[in-house]
Amino acid sequence: MAFDVKTITCLTVICTLCFRLEAQGQILSDGTPSKDLQEVTVTSDRTTNPHSVSVSKKADAALLRATSTLQVSDVLKYMSGATVKDYGGIGGLKTVSVRGLGAQHTAVAYDGIIITDNQTGQIDLGKFSGSQAQSVSMTSGPDNDMLQPAALAAQAAVISVSSKRPEIGESKARSKGELKYGSFRTVSALAESDFKAGRLGTATVQGEWLDTRGDYPYTQENSASSRQMRRTNSDVSRLRVEGALFSSIGENSSLTTRIYWFQSAQGLPANILYNENAARERLWNSNGFMQSTLTTAFTDRLTMRLSAKYGTTYTRYLDPKVNSSTGKTDNRYTEREGYLSGVALYRLADRLTASAGIDTRLSALDGNGADQAHPTRLTLNSTAAIKYASDRIIITGRLNHVFTKEKTRLRQAAESYNHLSPTAGLNWLVWPKAGLHLRASVSNTLRLPTFNDLYFEQIGRRDLRPERATVTSAGIVLENESRGWFWSFYADAYNSNVKDRIMAVPGKNTALWMMKNIGSVITHGLETGLETGYTLGPVHPHLMLSYTYQRSMDKSDSGSSTWNHQLPYTPRHSASAVAWAENSIVNAGINLLYSGEYFCNGYNGPEYYMPSYYEIGCSLWRDFNINGSTVTLKAECINLTDKRYELVRNYPMPGRQLRLTATVEL
Amino acid sequence: MRKVNHILLSALLLTLSCDPEPVLLKHSEIVADGDHTGIFVLSEGLFNRNNSTLAWIDFETGAVDSWKSPTGTSYDCFEKVNGRRLGDTANDMILYGSHLYIVVSESSTIDILDATTLKSVKQIPMSRDGRPSEPRRITASGDYVYVCSFDGTVTRIDTLLLTADRTINVGRNPDGICVANGKLYVSNSGGLDFNNPDCTVSVIDLNSFTETKRIEVRQNPGSIYSDGKNVFVVSRGIYDYGKNDYDTRLHKIDAENDVVTETFNIPILTMDAHDGIAWFYGYGPGGTIQMLDLERGEIINSDFITDGTRIQCPYGIRVEPRSGKVYVCDAADYVTPGSLFCFSPEGRLLYKVTNIGINPNTITFCDNKVTLRRYAGKPEPKGHVDRVFEYMPAPGQFVNLMPQYEEGDDAQTMAQKCLEAFQSGEMITLGAFGGYVTVGLRSTIHNLEGKDFRIDGNAFNGSSEPGVVWVSSDENHNGLPDDKWYEIEGSEQKAGRSVADYTISYTRPAHEDDHTPWTGSDGRSGSVLHNKSHSQYYYPLWYESDAVEFTGTLLPDNITQENDIWIMKSFEYGYVDNLTNNTENALFDIEWAVNPDGTPANLESIDFIRIQNGVIGCNERTGELSTEVSTIYNLNPKSE
Repeated sequence: MAFDVKTITCLTVICTLCFRLEAQGQILSDGTPSKDLQEVTVTSDRTTNPHSVSVSKKADAALLRATSTLQVSDVLKYMSGATVKDYGGIGGLKTVSVRGLGAQHTAVAYDGIIITDNQTGQIDLGKFSGSQAQSVSMTSGPDNDMLQPAALAAQAAVISVSSKRPEIGESKARSKGELKYGSFRTVSALAESDFKAGRLGTATVQGEWLDTRGDYPYTQENSASSRQMRRTNSDVSRLRVEGALFSSIGENSSLTTRIYWFQSAQGLPANILYNENAARERLWNSNGFMQSTLTTAFTDRLTMRLSAKYGTTYTRYLDPKVNSSTGKTDNRYTEREGYLSGVALYRLADRLTASAGIDTRLSALDGNGADQAHPTRLTLNSTAAIKYASDRIIITGRLNHVFTKEKTRLRQAAESYNHLSPTAGLNWLVWPKAGLHLRASVSNTLRLPTFNDLYFEQIGRRDLRPERATVTSAGIVLENESRGWFWSFYADAYNSNVKDRIMAVPGKNTALWMMKNIGSVITHGLETGLETGYTLGPVHPHLMLSYTYQRSMDKSDSGSSTWNHQLPYTPRHSASAVAWAENSIVNAGINLLYSGEYFCNGYNGPEYYMPSYYEIGCSLWRDFNINGSTVTLKAECINLTDKRYELVRNYPMPGRQLRLTATVEL
Repeated sequence: MRKVNHILLSALLLTLSCDPEPVLLKHSEIVADGDHTGIFVLSEGLFNRNNSTLAWIDFETGAVDSWKSPTGTSYDCFEKVNGRRLGDTANDMILYGSHLYIVVSESSTIDILDATTLKSVKQIPMSRDGRPSEPRRITASGDYVYVCSFDGTVTRIDTLLLTADRTINVGRNPDGICVANGKLYVSNSGGLDFNNPDCTVSVIDLNSFTETKRIEVRQNPGSIYSDGKNVFVVSRGIYDYGKNDYDTRLHKIDAENDVVTETFNIPILTMDAHDGIAWFYGYGPGGTIQMLDLERGEIINSDFITDGTRIQCPYGIRVEPRSGKVYVCDAADYVTPGSLFCFSPEGRLLYKVTNIGINPNTITFCDNKVTLRRYAGKPEPKGHVDRVFEYMPAPGQFVNLMPQYEEGDDAQTMAQKCLEAFQSGEMITLGAFGGYVTVGLRSTIHNLEGKDFRIDGNAFNGSSEPGVVWVSSDENHNGLPDDKWYEIEGSEQKAGRSVADYTISYTRPAHEDDHTPWTGSDGRSGSVLHNKSHSQYYYPLWYESDAVEFTGTLLPDNITQENDIWIMKSFEYGYVDNLTNNTENALFDIEWAVNPDGTPANLESIDFIRIQNGVIGCNERTGELSTEVSTIYNLNPKSE
């Protein structure tokens, strides 16, 4: 009744904005001079890094394969602590949040440099292809890396996608071609080439095209009248081309330059309303950038890393049938960004390192609507850190600062943000023989209001404060290896507290929404994982288990109906298992996902209950050597039991899918 | 003592309000209200969650129906009875005649329920060119209900046929509709253009169903209410995000001259009124119920509630005009289930129903008895028809409506619709003389002792539109009605009063509203007269040819006029739609089948039936005589 006329536009736009995401990437040289390596990272092939002060997990090529990762979001579902919100299908938005902090607290980095979307603050991890990633890692809390750029160091959690690097040893070049065919007419083709570019160094180019109709069947639950239906308007077409050049300058410097282009056209999966099934919204994206990173070790003690980037992102959203006077909604946005980053690391003493860095970013958003604010934001992230690292103890301390200056063409710009946020971490190898580490960290991080939060049509509010998150975490890591068996275990308990959450709340009516700093959330949680494997013998079995407990309580208003209720889309219990075995006959993998029950609304009433679900998948693959080339054939079955479920209410997930992949490597 | 009771009661209220089950909490012994049997409360649910619900409060039992859905997620009478849910954002409803019409905005449908059982008898999808119309509000007058939709239209629904018969354009995003002085008033909000809303009220003449005027009002008109003489419309203006509020006005429109006579500066969103007094509330949480003198435009009571009862967020209001009781819906915080409050005319809480649904928005009084039965699965198809081979109606006033023709339909889809009608007990029309339908039986009906089959129509003695029956046996066992046909000899053929093989041809008229001319094989001619009650094309729209010819048995004229009353005399026996269903002479015996020469066919069994209108007749009041046919039953259980 009091359902105002404005509702539909507003809500549609809010929903739409969730999809207005970018898939841009950046690269960073990992050509850190070897002198410094012992300082910077202790790399491990395992999923867990035992030396990290925070929970840090890494999925390498084997895990990406065993989890049938087509999109980077697929593998993240198997990592403890990651809550993936998935609107279903290839084109459905996929975001990741950790520790009850909200997806905007999770930064995404491509090759170690942050990817930003100043408009929505959310990055769609579904837009990253599994083929472009050498590995995917996730760190919740402070990182050990002293050369981490300031913008990333200031984030509560970082998902880092590392790109493919040239894999040429003696040979002059290496080429790879791959074809995939899967259910719901999903086709993808990939071509990749690594080659020596004379004195310039080595280069890699990769191109990938994906096209799907995505019209998977689903069950529309409706009491005793449930119906079998098919997704419509769920087609996706994507093209990605990128090339990178890796050069060495003198003995102590390395330079990486990358050019990247991504383009997509897709339908947007619609909310499955009863009786009305007219999915018709379309989305177009293009994203291009160029960037360079120079790493120089000046002396034994001083190392510097400089990065520069320029990129643009174009988004067009179209709803061709709207009951407004224009008859449609056609929003076009262009976001341009220039970025400069510098970090210097100085070894003060044998075990003591200090670093300082500054990131400067200039972002401008233009849109086609008459109501657009056309904001430009200058962000200065600076950071100073100190680290003590002995054989058994690592202690880090860091102070981050963010400063913004904002300008708008229309309406008043937001005030400058000027905030300090510290982090600290400890990793102590208590019992070297058993490989037992204790670790603890505390971090205070910010999530700045996005352009939408501040300026979007009527709902934006320019006086928003940043969200502030404080996380304390402590845990143990055990890692051991003997006679071909290795195993690792970790368990970390944490407590997080988010204050001044930025949320869209109804104003005087459900129709009139407005952004507000409202309320806080306290989360207690546990993230644990076990990994084991056997490397000797003809069969190499590998098992990875993880379990997450999350109790995220709404602590906004003790008088409200949602007081102490669990955050929406946050199961208290979730678990995963991945097992695979490599051998000479055929490699096989199996994966299992489980999510406990949760609610799709901050009010945990029965109307908003989402039942628990599980999903099982499996894969088989084998390499063949033919005349010096390697041919790999792979068959995967995703959602083997054809489990019908929704992760986001009214956005069904696909049922059973098959996928065949053929790869030729020359 | 009283105070203690109060504390106890509050404690009880607190505990119960956590219970998701709807509970009626009495503060007074009386729940009933006048002659009403109860009230329906519609809840729109949360946007895009498909969770609109309908609640029923029975005044006789003083209880709220609290059937729980199998998934345990909702308390919904609609789901209980229909085995499905209403859909998304049920925005309005009206009880009119014997039906309850529910407007489901985001699902873009009108669900029509039988008011006594709440069974959905029809769902009308509302869309144009694949664009959901988003129906918003509903009102009724005469034989029609009227729905305004966000796509800038008003649709008229025939309450007899339960079909949307016409749609006309009005202003942008209409968001309120009411009837006054033989006219419809529609508030054109234009709210989907936030900074450029509409600012008009459309006036529609009910007789011609055409828009006659647009009255200029302030921007973004919404709720509209009529007291018969005047129309009151709330104009919301443009929302001030700085103040976080609307600056609303209430316009008074004189329904005689259709001009704005007065504008009151009142913080109003929605109202209900009786006897010159409006009970209203403004936007948002914490809104109080206030009273307004509609004559003077003065607030006469700034807080109607006198006993300290707090309503978190008023979301719907109704005043019972006789008892003066005021019913208010409370949406609480929009996500938790809301409540219904019933106040005495003095503003004291009489009772409260908690957990009535999420965002309850509409209250409707019910005067008929309501019996709710739990959905027991899809109903078994009625009767003995399982195929419709041919549906060939002659032109007629119900043609293209029964069954409903929709763009793109052809002979096959129309036949399928007929099958659905046969199996659900709905009527189909055969149009004027000669129109016929050919059906296949679920199993062979044998010629046993006594009557063998029954064909339902809508006749009673004195209102007969007789159809001649033909039967056929599947002699070649190919399942198709390509065997020999035999006529069922009714009383008129037997008495020699009928004409065999009479041929008639009809021509498609140039315009929808024109009469449909016919000529007969004996040189007679005439027209199927177009009448005002049914404005659609009478010529079957899926026929490709512009002329159509039928041959059949012509029965004697049965229309007579006695003292200004038209009587359509029933024949003695042997015809469809001739006598009251299931009375002895309305039933059929296979024994009556005859060869073309009139000798008994001595059929053992039949597999196909054809029914053909046997009369040419037209009267000015009720239009042409057109046989209506419904379910066919096998009366011989043994032959099943």
